Amino acid sequence: MLKLENYEAIINKCSHCGYCQATCPVYLEDMLESHVARNRLNLINQVLILKTMPSTPRFREILDRCLLCTNCTQTCSSKVPVDEIIIAARAETGKSTLGGLKSFVMSKMLQQRGLTGLMGKAGSLVQKMGVAAREMPQLASKPFSQIYSGTIPAQGEQRGRVAYFVGCGTNFLYPDTGIATVQVLTRNGWEVVIPAGQVCCGIPAMAEGDLAAAREMVATNLNLFDLDNVDAVITDCTSCGMMIKEKFSKMLNPEDPLQEKAQAWAGKIYEITDFLQQQGLSDRPASLYASFTYHVPCHRGWSPTVVDAPRELLGNLPGAELRELPDPEKCCGAAGTFFMEHRDLSERIRSHRVEQIEASEVQTVITQCPVCRFYLSASLNSQQVTHPVIMLAQAYENVSQE
Amino acid sequence: MSGLVKDLARLIGDNNVLFQPEDLLAYANDATHYFRTQLPDAVVLPSSTQEIARVQAYAYEHQIPVTPRGAGSGLSGGATPVKGGIVVDTKRLNRIVEIDRANMVAQVEGGAVLQNFHRAVEERGLFYPPDPQSMSVCTLGGNVATRAGGPRGVKYGTTGNYVTGLEVVLPDGSVIKTGGKFVKQSVGYDLTHLMTGSEGTLGIITGVTVRLVPLPPAHRTVIVVCETLDQAAEIVSEIIARGAVPSMLEFLIKLAITVMNNYVSQPLPTDGEAFLLMEMDGTPAQVESDVQTIKEICRDMKAQEVLEILDEKAAQSYWNARSNIYPLIMTIFNRCTSEDITVPRSRIPDLVRAVQEIAASVGIMIGLAGHAGDGNMHPTVLQTEINDEMAARANKAIELMIRRGLELGGTISGEHGIGIHKQEYLAWELDQVQIELMKRIKAAFDPRGIMNPGKIWVEGGAQ
Ligand SMILES: Cc1cc2nc3c(=O)[nH]c(=O)nc-3n(C[C@H](O)[C@H](O)[C@H](O)COP(=O)(O)OP(=O)(O)OC[C@H]3O[C@@H](n4cnc5c(N)ncnc54)[C@H](O)[C@@H]3O)c2cc1C
Ligand code: SF4
Ligand code: SF4
Repeated sequence: MLKLENYEAIINKCSHCGYCQATCPVYLEDMLESHVARNRLNLINQVLILKTMPSTPRFREILDRCLLCTNCTQTCSSKVPVDEIIIAARAETGKSTLGGLKSFVMSKMLQQRGLTGLMGKAGSLVQKMGVAAREMPQLASKPFSQIYSGTIPAQGEQRGRVAYFVGCGTNFLYPDTGIATVQVLTRNGWEVVIPAGQVCCGIPAMAEGDLAAAREMVATNLNLFDLDNVDAVITDCTSCGMMIKEKFSKMLNPEDPLQEKAQAWAGKIYEITDFLQQQGLSDRPASLYASFTYHVPCHRGWSPTVVDAPRELLGNLPGAELRELPDPEKCCGAAGTFFMEHRDLSERIRSHRVEQIEASEVQTVITQCPVCRFYLSASLNSQQVTHPVIMLAQAYENVSQE
Repeated sequence: MSGLVKDLARLIGDNNVLFQPEDLLAYANDATHYFRTQLPDAVVLPSSTQEIARVQAYAYEHQIPVTPRGAGSGLSGGATPVKGGIVVDTKRLNRIVEIDRANMVAQVEGGAVLQNFHRAVEERGLFYPPDPQSMSVCTLGGNVATRAGGPRGVKYGTTGNYVTGLEVVLPDGSVIKTGGKFVKQSVGYDLTHLMTGSEGTLGIITGVTVRLVPLPPAHRTVIVVCETLDQAAEIVSEIIARGAVPSMLEFLIKLAITVMNNYVSQPLPTDGEAFLLMEMDGTPAQVESDVQTIKEICRDMKAQEVLEILDEKAAQSYWNARSNIYPLIMTIFNRCTSEDITVPRSRIPDLVRAVQEIAASVGIMIGLAGHAGDGNMHPTVLQTEINDEMAARANKAIELMIRRGLELGGTISGEHGIGIHKQEYLAWELDQVQIELMKRIKAAFDPRGIMNPGKIWVEGGAQ
């Protein structure tokens, strides 16, 4: 359970070394000590645990100006779960007042899928807010759930069966990632099961501190999947992956009967390229004539190999040229719905990322996060941003054309 | 908004002034692991020397305390505003101004982060050796102000050996430039090196000029597993005496290796009691011959095992883990106080023995990890609980260690500085004549006693 009282001991494990300054995108932008993990922790401790300071709008603002990117937790050798403590603090201080579009996305889009009328509504909201269309995600003409569902058989000799957890990014914005995921999996001998009725993984609600809503989504998803008969659960999104691996169980009461299922999911969840790289490709793609770079998503800490997989899968294909950025792991500033409410800050964070990408002069940027994909695309003119599994699917097409 | 805040906003813009308690709280502390409650009245975030000079002149006029701050990674409480007033955060003053290959020098602003600077010079085939383990965050200005060092001190020396010039805003707001790009100068008092180690009590360092050396083409990491702490300490003395001076030479006890193993890709054996983590650098031939010498010494002195780490990535992961020992230790203990005792190298075995005896007699755990190559050990008092009794024992142990260090001809601080953490021991090391002289120097720079008051000596300021 993400309750602050459960973190009272661990919050004191912060040695105050300050190393988290080195990787916090928000700190590096404004250089405000109050926004560094060590001081966020001390402030939360003073306001909500020790109660030596009142809870003020500035306190809430500091809590809200966190991307929950986990760069600090990954940097922290004292292993302080900073992101969870910030979420618990947000939950304890109550919901923040959400902006129009964001509250719409949060309350409607993510909890109920397949409501086609919603798309027009989101579009008109964007217009009302005077936001440039390019700076808001455009919904795909057909969600992934209307393209693939049920069981898709393996091609050739079957190696096993996997369940596919379809995240919101793929369902609403980028069905092409889902299509490529299914194609590459089946092509490599995996039968793919896509249970109907999947909902959001819950990470946006959790980030907001709305733990009840997050718990509901987690429970809905856990009940849908029969894990006994699959070898793995596949996600194409590193944030869904983190949520499933590290947070599902924490959304539930310790005694919740769903705990066992949550543990089972945690043991079987793989990001698609990570899974393919670990299992090996039975069908070899032959060529990929492209120069590309890898924008590593922030939510990478849940698997030690998730950042190597796209590089290894694609980097060695004939014709492929992987040009690493000076800081491949630098945040793009989007962070779920963060950029909708902190536009100036997010844009400044993004500008450094875009600068490095443009200087690299590659054709394509790959990343396993739909929000990074959208947010970087919105600011890049000469490069396309895509998911590595889409590039892999293309590499197969190149073979069949030859 | 107070008058002070309004005035500061007028001087440097309201985007660069913080005054809400939620923000000020973040500037009450540095990395010393005990929390202080004295908040500053305001924090300024200037981006130029001129802005700092304006703030400083204002503070001088109104007699307001000023505490300079870099990354706040200091381990002596130096950057904590014990008398309130204004904290000058230098992190936005962070440009690398020039890397001058022809003269092998570089100029940076005071708030530039050391690791960014390392990266920039190494890209050009040059090398700036000083390597305090906090390099991912600490600033050049903070390094100069604390005379910071690190594992490379054994071969290359520390910050003080590289600084050739400074730009400083004095307490009254005037700006001076000391030294320059030249590597020698014989013109009056050496203010550059007086400022070096001044812990923010004489002025604010806004520009730093340092000399560079060529980047050594080859290096190799070697780890020696020793049966006892004494054996490890003796091997250190022998290595130095034989002249095969490693570029880094760190002394680590088993506990350190155990926590480091949670961090590295290839865990180290933990069957020894003490470990030496070393790096040799130079030309490939020299590295090879130094490694052979070290192996010989270890064989002769019957070290348990010598591991040569040829995989570059694995080697780097050991060094990264080394720089993370302090936060890593916190996964096991609830408070750790890192001391900074430094003795002549030949006395390291004596110091190591003394630390073990003190730990046993006081009944508290003391971790040992340090830059043994230059005699700088960081015995770290480890508390499993936070209570008065434990704290009293910790203090007792620290006192005994510091006394013993001094008896061995050592110093109470090799690189962290005095700040507030060690001020009560200052008079144990320096006689009254020296302390009085220092105070007169302080008064000459800072007649109004506004510059980082309450640091170094107990009464603080220029009183
Ligand atoms: C995990 C860890 C490991 C460390 N390892 C080492 C190590 O190996 N070697 C070592 O030497 N230190 C080490 N330190 C201590 C610390 O990082 C150094 O003292 C460092 O030089 C401090 O730099 P800073 O920018 O953080 O300065 P701060 O902590 O902000 O300030 C330190 C002192 O310098 C003054 N100061 C800062 N900037 C200026 C300026 N521009 N002008 C004038 N005065 C200024 C401050 O007033 C204060 O007195 C370590 C710290 C941690 C947390
Ligand atoms: S890195 Fe971890 S231990 Fe160090 S200050 Fe940040 S949160 Fe605290
Ligand atoms: S989660 Fe990201 S934005 Fe938030 S404090 Fe940590 S590093 Fe900074």
